[in-house]
Parts: sequence; C-alpha cells; structure tokens
Amino acid sequence: MVTNKIFLNKRGGGEEIISLYLIAMIFVVAGGLAGMVFIFAGSPYDVREIEATLLIDKIADCVSYGGKINESFILNKEIQKTNLDNCHLNFGDEEEEFFYKIIFYEVGDLENSFMEIRGGNLNFESSCEVQDENEFSILPKCVEKSFYSLDNLDNQYIIKILTAVRKIEKNVKK
Amino acid sequence: MFRKGFLKNKKGDANLLWKVLSVLLVLVVLSGFLLFLHSKINGAVVLEQSYSKNIALLIDASTPVMDMKLNMDKAFDLAEKNKIPRDDIVKIKNNTVTVRLSQKGGYSYSFFNDVDVSAYADIYPNKNYIIKINGYK
Repeated sequence: MVTNKIFLNKRGGGEEIISLYLIAMIFVVAGGLAGMVFIFAGSPYDVREIEATLLIDKIADCVSYGGKINESFILNKEIQKTNLDNCHLNFGDEEEEFFYKIIFYEVGDLENSFMEIRGGNLNFESSCEVQDENEFSILPKCVEKSFYSLDNLDNQYIIKILTAVRKIEKNVKK
Repeated sequence: MFRKGFLKNKKGDANLLWKVLSVLLVLVVLSGFLLFLHSKINGAVVLEQSYSKNIALLIDASTPVMDMKLNMDKAFDLAEKNKIPRDDIVKIKNNTVTVRLSQKGGYSYSFFNDVDVSAYADIYPNKNYIIKINGYK
C-alpha cells in the first residue's frame, strides 16, 4: 500500500486521490517560480552598455559636430591632446570607473592613426580586448563606434571611439 | 455534477470536501506567489534603482536647455504610502541622482554629463517629475 496517500476513496472501481505528491508539486512549482523571481528581481539593472554608448555620443559631439571635425583636435597634429577639457564631461569621484580612447585616421591611411586620446582608467583597454569574442559581466562593459568627418578644407577623417564603464557594484549581482 | 441526495452520502461528502480543500490550497499558494511577485516588482528597492538609473541616463543624454517630464505614478504612490514628501523623492547633487521611496536610505546613481540640473515635482495632483537642464557648468 502506498503510504503517501492521505486520502483514498474507492467507489465503483474508480479511485480519487489527493496525495502528498499533489501538495508537494504545488509547493515545488510555486517555490521554483518564487525563486526565479527572487533571482531576477535581486539582480540590478545593468545599464553600463547604455552609459558607454551615451559617453561615445557625448565625445563624438565634442570631437565632430554636424559632420565637421572640431579644429582644436587637429590644429597641430604634433601636439597630442591628452584630455577632453571642453567636452562637458565630469566623472566626479568615479573617474576610475570609466575609460575612453579616441583614434583619428586620415581616410587615405587607415592603418596608421595620426592621433590618439586616452582618458580614465587606462587598465580597461586590455579588458575590452579580452572581451572581443566573449563578454564577462565582472569586467567593464565596452562599446566601440566609428564615424566619418571632414575638416574645413574637406579633408576626410575616420574617428574611432572606444568607451568602457565598470560600475560593477551598481550593475552586476555580487 | 450534483447528484440527488449526495449530502447523505458520507463518502461523497468526504470526496467533495477534499476537492474543495485541494482547490483552496492551490488558490492560497498561487495568491501567495502573486503577492510575492507584486511586492518584488513594485517594491521600493526595485523602483528606486529603476528611477535613479533612468534619470541619470536621461541627464547623460540631454543637452542644455531642456525640460524633461518623467511620469512616476508608481513612485508617487509608494512614497505617499511610506510618508515621503513629494519634493523629497528625487534629489540631484554633485552629479548624483538619489531616489527615495521609503524611510530606508534610497538609491543613488551618478551621471557624467557636466550640466547644471534641477529636479522638482510637478504641480499636485500630477504624478510627474520635471528634470530641468539649465546649462553647462
């Protein structure tokens, strides 16, 4: 005799059972669903990719606006700019959580850049290279975009921008 | 299907009782689960995080001069329930947005756009917040 049957009623050869299995199944299914919700709701929203993309947009608007390159970046190609002073960026105390790299190419020579600007936490550059094929949530989120621009003499440039945002504590479940 | 005189049938009584109990059990467990789901999705912790990140990203995407009206129905309702004044729900200070919907702390997220920004609640009874980008710092 099965011992887990808490009710057994025989009538007309039929058998209706409410067993411990039924109750157990209800709790297991509800518990499983609750567990999934708990895991899902317990994970923070990861907005780093959006943030990195917005940072690219912001830098791109500063470097080149309306398809025309900001002349201050290319006035003297010998003097490398090292910061984005006039780009209205303020990382506050979290400068180490960001990284940006801007590479300028002349259209005729896409192999060799004539200028590069890096800022923020320079260690993130290697993290971005590592994630070329697979992304790892505990590493900074990297986004890269490139666009075409002209100077006042209609010389053509390709500008590539790479940004990375770490902010793991606020965006990734510990 | 009701059968004539089924109440007089002891076995039938017990059978019906167990069926009702099993249905009730399922309903109780499912309602418990739905309540849990509701509390998780509409909980202060989740909403605070969601709104503060949303506002920070909106500010990052903005340029001066710009006004943004953000509908925050759920936030206003929860803040009212938790006795948080309308004007204290969103605070912006030093490139950080803090959203508070309960008496426990709140959630902060930073933005990198170097703008002078102010945030204030829309006129009562509207449940919106106005994010005003005044200019670059």
